[in-house]
Amino acid sequence: MKALTEADMTAYLAARFPDWRDVRIEGLHRLPLGASRETYRFDLGYSDGEGAHSDRLILRRDPPVSNVDSDRNHEYSAYRAIHGHGIPVPRMILLEEDPGPMGGAISIAEDLRGYHNSEYQLQEPAWQDKLPHIAGQMWGAMGRLAAVPVEALDLDFMVPATPESTAMQELDFWEATLDKNDVGPEPITRAAIRWLRRNPPPPAQKLAMVHGDFRAGNFLYDDDGNLIAVLDWEMAHRGDPLEDLAWSLARVFSFGKDDRRSGIAPREDAIRIWEAASGLTADPAALHWWELLNCVKGQGIWNSCAHAWTTTSGEREVIHAYAAWWLRNAQDRAILELMGHL
Amino acid sequence: MKPSIPVAAADLAARLRAEIVPELTGFRANNVAMGSAMIDMIAEEFDRAAARLFDENEAVRGLLERGGVAIAAPARPDLRISALEAENDRLRAALIDLQTALETRDDTDARALDADIWRELARSVERRRIASANF
Repeated sequence: MKALTEADMTAYLAARFPDWRDVRIEGLHRLPLGASRETYRFDLGYSDGEGAHSDRLILRRDPPVSNVDSDRNHEYSAYRAIHGHGIPVPRMILLEEDPGPMGGAISIAEDLRGYHNSEYQLQEPAWQDKLPHIAGQMWGAMGRLAAVPVEALDLDFMVPATPESTAMQELDFWEATLDKNDVGPEPITRAAIRWLRRNPPPPAQKLAMVHGDFRAGNFLYDDDGNLIAVLDWEMAHRGDPLEDLAWSLARVFSFGKDDRRSGIAPREDAIRIWEAASGLTADPAALHWWELLNCVKGQGIWNSCAHAWTTTSGEREVIHAYAAWWLRNAQDRAILELMGHL
Repeated sequence: MKPSIPVAAADLAARLRAEIVPELTGFRANNVAMGSAMIDMIAEEFDRAAARLFDENEAVRGLLERGGVAIAAPARPDLRISALEAENDRLRAALIDLQTALETRDDTDARALDADIWRELARSVERRRIASANF
């Protein structure tokens, strides 16, 4: 894939914004964030009729092969849709869908610098006393997202869904993802899919904008553990808000290697905080269905990692092989637990 | 090979983490850290992979035979990992079909075989478990 350079960025922005003068790009470097998209940080300087400007920015670029079936327009539009509705997110600035100029579609957003996003840092002793507060921040924000009236959001770019259709729609999508990214027979995951089809959940209590990957590691927090912004909206969709709660409870994201979910709080605490913030009820049977669905989703993503690594004709991403090795068996184990066979 | 591959690989992974990762930053540091974790997984898997695949293939073949599905073992066992994995894929694909069929039945034999399949699947994830996994 074409390397991203300061010279190319400067030329692109100068052409895109003819009124800008003295365009300067400095400190362009790739960040170790995520397996599905390339993320870069840089400083931008320019002058226009209003004077000199200096901005700190984040650039995300679509790779030729990804483990997540999404694109720049989808994530860019998701950030813009939720911005201003009580869920803190970075401000989106620019979308370029033409892969020509930068070697792939890009989006540019404000860079909220000076905060943390590491899920592993939260396991260090210095953070242990702050975890209850962080739990309130994380599952509180997730609950508030669930409560946002979906009708108030511009989600025309998303696939339509109804409270009745969303569960099987998601199951169909992730089963198709597994089929498309087949890396060998998966008896445990396939058994889970059959069980999910035999035991459909009740309709969603409400339709919500589902983040799709809301967990530790995908939000910024400050030194006191306050949530600053929710990141990584590329899998956002209309759906059952229980899906986000269930994803955050996944065993594979128990970064403390214990019962705390997302490495932050016990399952019961997470559910209690989410219920209080959302005003919704996490029906145990429905939540169980979504937890198992999310295991299928997880396996779909990890298999897609293995498939992307195996089939790419370009430069391979280490994280694709690493994630597949590290997560596929743990995901099977989580399925066994949820189905009562561990 | 001497020194033993698991020991040498684990040592290499530890050196990468201790000596190289601190010299790097950002994306490159993360790649090397993941690489060292992968070498740890190779060290863990190297000694056990053939044995676990051989055991699993025998167990799954037995379950399939109980379900009336005959998949003959190779006349001369090929113990290379690639051959064992190919055999494992064939057997696990047949196991999916068998379990799907059992789920449509409601008799004692079907329930007993299905329960034994689940027990074997649980054993398989324990055999494949990675020490660094979250779960």
